Amino acid sequence: MRIFVSRVSPIAAALLFAAVAVAQDKVPLKLQLPKPLFVGTPVPLNVPNLEPPLKGKRADFMVPAGTINLSKGKKVTASDDSPVTGTLDLVTDGDKAGDEGSWVELGPGKQWVQIDLAKKSTVYAVLVWHYHSQARVYRDVVAQVSDDPNFKSGVTTIFNNDFKNEVGAGAGKDQNYVETYQGKLIDGKGAQGRYVRLYSNGNTTNKLNDYIEVEVWGKPAA
Amino acid sequence: MERAILSSRWIRSLPFILLALLGLAVRLPQLGNRPMHTDEAINGYIVGQLLAGQPYLYDPQDRHGPSLSALALPLARVQGDRSFADLTEAQLRLTSVIAGTITILLFGAAAEMFGFVPCLIAAGLFAFAPLPVYYDRYFIHESLFCAATFGLILSGWRAATTGKLAPALWAGVSAGIMLASKETAVLHFFALAASVVVFWLWNRSGTAASTRISPRTLLIASGMFVALSTLLFTWFGQNWRALPALLHATPHLVSRAAGQGHEKPFWYFAQLLASGRSGGVLVALTCLGFLAALKPRGPAPYRFLAIYFVLIAAIYSLIPYKTPWLALNLWLPIALFAGGAVSLLWQAATSHAFVRIAIPAFGIFVILAATLIARDTRQRVYLQPADENNPYAYAHTTDDILGLPTEIMELAQRDGISNPRIAVIASDPWPLPWYLRRFSQIGFWQPGQQPDRADFYITSTEVAEQYHSQLKDFRPDFFGERPGVLILLWLPAPK
Repeated sequence: MRIFVSRVSPIAAALLFAAVAVAQDKVPLKLQLPKPLFVGTPVPLNVPNLEPPLKGKRADFMVPAGTINLSKGKKVTASDDSPVTGTLDLVTDGDKAGDEGSWVELGPGKQWVQIDLAKKSTVYAVLVWHYHSQARVYRDVVAQVSDDPNFKSGVTTIFNNDFKNEVGAGAGKDQNYVETYQGKLIDGKGAQGRYVRLYSNGNTTNKLNDYIEVEVWGKPAA
Repeated sequence: MERAILSSRWIRSLPFILLALLGLAVRLPQLGNRPMHTDEAINGYIVGQLLAGQPYLYDPQDRHGPSLSALALPLARVQGDRSFADLTEAQLRLTSVIAGTITILLFGAAAEMFGFVPCLIAAGLFAFAPLPVYYDRYFIHESLFCAATFGLILSGWRAATTGKLAPALWAGVSAGIMLASKETAVLHFFALAASVVVFWLWNRSGTAASTRISPRTLLIASGMFVALSTLLFTWFGQNWRALPALLHATPHLVSRAAGQGHEKPFWYFAQLLASGRSGGVLVALTCLGFLAALKPRGPAPYRFLAIYFVLIAAIYSLIPYKTPWLALNLWLPIALFAGGAVSLLWQAATSHAFVRIAIPAFGIFVILAATLIARDTRQRVYLQPADENNPYAYAHTTDDILGLPTEIMELAQRDGISNPRIAVIASDPWPLPWYLRRFSQIGFWQPGQQPDRADFYITSTEVAEQYHSQLKDFRPDFFGERPGVLILLWLPAPK
């Protein structure tokens, strides 16, 4: 027993040291949130199989030090060349207030927006605001990262709540969520790629697809 | 010769019949496409109860009068409906479409009172303008109420000016239909009575028509009104409790008038009527027609209409409770004033010294106005009938709800459930009873009550937490009921 302890202790100490080192490298993601546009989240749910609503401020999300917003001002393309409202540059213009004129609205049904990060990057978080001036749920939200602008190869799916596989990215297991001013924080899981694509398929108010802002937090790949 | 042709009543009616047919053609397409508003769903449910053989039970808390159902029931039967499940959106809305078409025809009957050309233009406006077309396709009481109000004004005027029996009876019938449509009829009765008094005072020195209202005419009209109201409210003698309920409805109506979540500012109706591309033109024409009506030597019926318009617009604007369909009540005088204004503009154009310029200018104005009206009607009635940006679509059921029964059916089929059991738990489940009417095993529970075991649960977002244990093996899917209002469909979770 004593021999076992004496052999294991240095390994444990080394692992602990490594973990502390890694943890020290991580910092809370600093986000600037817009003002809430409707009072009170109308979904005080704490039930199985449903994402619980945020009560107050979101818990710190840890990202490696040096993580930056890679998407600010970057080029945006979409499946809908002629948005119903707004222009595609609104997706990355930094304005997430959510009031009139701050969002782009793509046509009905399944649509996507794609952000070109300009170079291959490591993605730690994606923060998306579809629309937050009323309680809405956007259907079939899928977020992917890839180096292929056509998303045919090397695609990493980092979020998918399309449980009926309407989008065609496979049946998702992530949960539906209600839009709020805090946006939806998606764990990037360190996925690598130059492009980030977000799908949706209408919402609970209408069949259109809105984007106020998308932030892609990460680091340009070395 | 021309005068002789126009004096023929039949020939004078033809343009109005044509306009009514065109109005009908505009009102019928895609009648079932717009989702059912909660109020339409409730009215549909009542018709379903009547089809099942139950009497109409008047309840001032959440029902208006029985007129709409009385008209919808035979129409539903003619269309082959035998139960609530058989009913469709288009079948029910046909009732309102018919009422709206009758209103267009009534402009023909108003020609003697307000003039042939103004009434023809007014009928055209009512046939094609966005607001009347929109709410004439809505299974609520408003279009029937509007037709009955017009009937009361026309027959009341005729009864007063001629003292004949038939118009007095028609006035009573119209007033009875009004009250049995909506209790707000009393506001219109008050406005009309006050208008008669003001009109009489205004015209005391002249030969005012109002001075000829005889006690006999009043008695006949009142008798008819009481008889028809009693017949309808008691559902042809089957429910006499409706009469005391009607008499005791006042406190509830006063409370409702205070707002009950539908409070709007004083200028709400003015803003609504002026909205859209054509709103400004229509308001401008109405103002012109209204000012012309106030001229001392102007036609007496227009003066009476002006007084009534001011009173009814003030009443509706002062009451905090406002919904956009109430604006249909303002549209009768608006159409007539606008019609009068267009007629005046034409007279001005043809009598102008520069007639070669004035007539083409008038023609361009008419074409422009017609284009704007057509554009607004297309946008609001057909392209975006339930869109939250459409000011007529008030707290409207969203298209999203249409997917709810489909999803239940698909999943039930997938899981081999031939007759799914559905439990709905919500304090206000409407319009779900309408959308789930074809499922035979469905129950509705209030929050806190314990529902039966079910294959699918539907809950409001607020109550789901109370049923944690019951829902633990279910996966939720959100559906939008109205803009900003969500419900949850709980599906069996994949194993």
